[in-house]
Amino acid sequence: MCQEHKTVGNPSHFEGTEQEKTTAHAVDGTFAQYTQGMKFFDPHVHMTSRTTDDYQALADAGVVALIEPAFWLGQPRTGLASFKDYFASLVGWERFRSSQFGIKHYCTIGLNSREANHEALAEQVMEILPLFLQKEGVVGVGEIGFDDQTAAEEKYYRAQLELAKEMNLPVQVHTPHRDKKKGTERSMAIALEHGIAPNMVIIDHNNEETVKSVLDQGFYAAFTIYPFTKMGNERMVEIVKQYGPERIMVNSAADWGISDPLAIPKTAALMKIKEVPDEHIRLVTYQNALDAFAQSGQIQESDFIHGLEIDQTQKFNGNTVLRGGQAPRVNKDSLIIR
Amino acid sequence: MKTNTQITETIASFATEAESAWIAEQKALSGKALALAFVKAPRFVSKNILQSGAFSGWTFDQVVRLDLVIPLDEANLDILFETAEMQEAVALTRALPYLPNPSAFLLRATDAVRSNMGPVFDAIAFGNSYPRDYFQEAAWNQLVLKCIFNDKAIHQIIGLDERANQALANTLSDFAHERWSAGRRVPSQVWRLVPKFMNESLHADIEKLAQSENPRDVLAANLVKLEVQNPGSTQGLWHELELPEPIYIA
Repeated sequence: MCQEHKTVGNPSHFEGTEQEKTTAHAVDGTFAQYTQGMKFFDPHVHMTSRTTDDYQALADAGVVALIEPAFWLGQPRTGLASFKDYFASLVGWERFRSSQFGIKHYCTIGLNSREANHEALAEQVMEILPLFLQKEGVVGVGEIGFDDQTAAEEKYYRAQLELAKEMNLPVQVHTPHRDKKKGTERSMAIALEHGIAPNMVIIDHNNEETVKSVLDQGFYAAFTIYPFTKMGNERMVEIVKQYGPERIMVNSAADWGISDPLAIPKTAALMKIKEVPDEHIRLVTYQNALDAFAQSGQIQESDFIHGLEIDQTQKFNGNTVLRGGQAPRVNKDSLIIR
Repeated sequence: MKTNTQITETIASFATEAESAWIAEQKALSGKALALAFVKAPRFVSKNILQSGAFSGWTFDQVVRLDLVIPLDEANLDILFETAEMQEAVALTRALPYLPNPSAFLLRATDAVRSNMGPVFDAIAFGNSYPRDYFQEAAWNQLVLKCIFNDKAIHQIIGLDERANQALANTLSDFAHERWSAGRRVPSQVWRLVPKFMNESLHADIEKLAQSENPRDVLAANLVKLEVQNPGSTQGLWHELELPEPIYIA
């Protein structure tokens, strides 16, 4: 991947014309002019780690809905209660925080691969997963899969595939950073072995090396646009040009690392500049993710497409203006803070 | 009418055949399975807002969820509270006054008041008799003050007039002074809480209010004076002021 290109001499992954390249560099900061009227669905973003500035930027950039997969917190948890509170926050406080910016927040719930290696705790987490998996707005089991590809990781990956099958939920599969190609193949083989339909599985963090096999076997292929460690968006454009838009989706996986929550709108702008058809852009930045996760029965496009409906409890006694003090949009260019 | 009868009648009149069948099946369960039925309910019953009957203003799934939690043991109720998704938290909070032993859930109710999730706070504050019936004065005052602080319209609190008290009126005066110093305002209808508890400071506040350029403040000041002179005479007259007022409209 990266290293291979470096040996060629020119570090750029940009495979378009000089004209396109000039345009791309000229639009830094004003990319939104290329995404006017577009709406986006980010199927993988860890909003718990992000600030309200990010929510505001996402809303301004046209992101109307997102999925927050359960993952680890950058360091291992030491008890069940912290898992429980984390899951509860994904369906509670974070959901509300997002709604304040008009963005519909869904999540996937699961035991991540890293913490699967702490078996005593993992057993306890497995006990509480069914309760959370059946909650409203939980659109899949995720993100689960392999990190180090240990025996414990495999054990809990399999156990959670069974849960997904039982509850008829899509599975969001994290593929490892190291030994990715083998890990990806293994993840798919195990899912098939458990009798899960490939169209119910979203294989995440793909790259040029993994995409063909994932698509050929009928799985959804998600691509994470994340600086340095995962995909760059120039490479992403080439993938969409080469493979077309079917079953491909883009996400940001923005978290507490150096990442970019605007990865999807930026990639859409780049695709537009590089003349990817509008319909293809729409499919890979919105519709495919929606279709894949709507198989949970927990996503209705009508719930967010015309803006978030005011919560029903807030219509109590016919009063729809109970949100006073809770519309936290502020003019960020203003020097004066009131 | 007894709660159970009201619930049964509501479900009978709004449920589809499929919904009735699912509800009947779930009600035969107990313990963890019943708790899980509460969690799954929106997958099987509608969220239509009821326009009439004992639960007018509730969504249908909230009534069904109420029906499912009433027979639930406290251990499973605790699990539901601790793992609640936002709509579940709203449904549980609305269910509080109907539980067999409501006073056992006082901490859940005061936690809902502490919640930063607007819908959860609203579920305890508005149209819910639990605070009126079970909150001590300090908790009650905290509820009313948080409403005022967040510019929510207080007339939707059940028991607002009967639970008014001297401490609340005094705190309201302090609060108004803070807001006024900051160049902000206080929603006019909150002054309905003070007529029975007037003291020197509150009299001065009402005089200041009467001089306001805002006609809503002037109306509030007049209503307070009228009520002080002739208790009970202003009932219904606050209606015009019963809406949220953003703090920045000075």
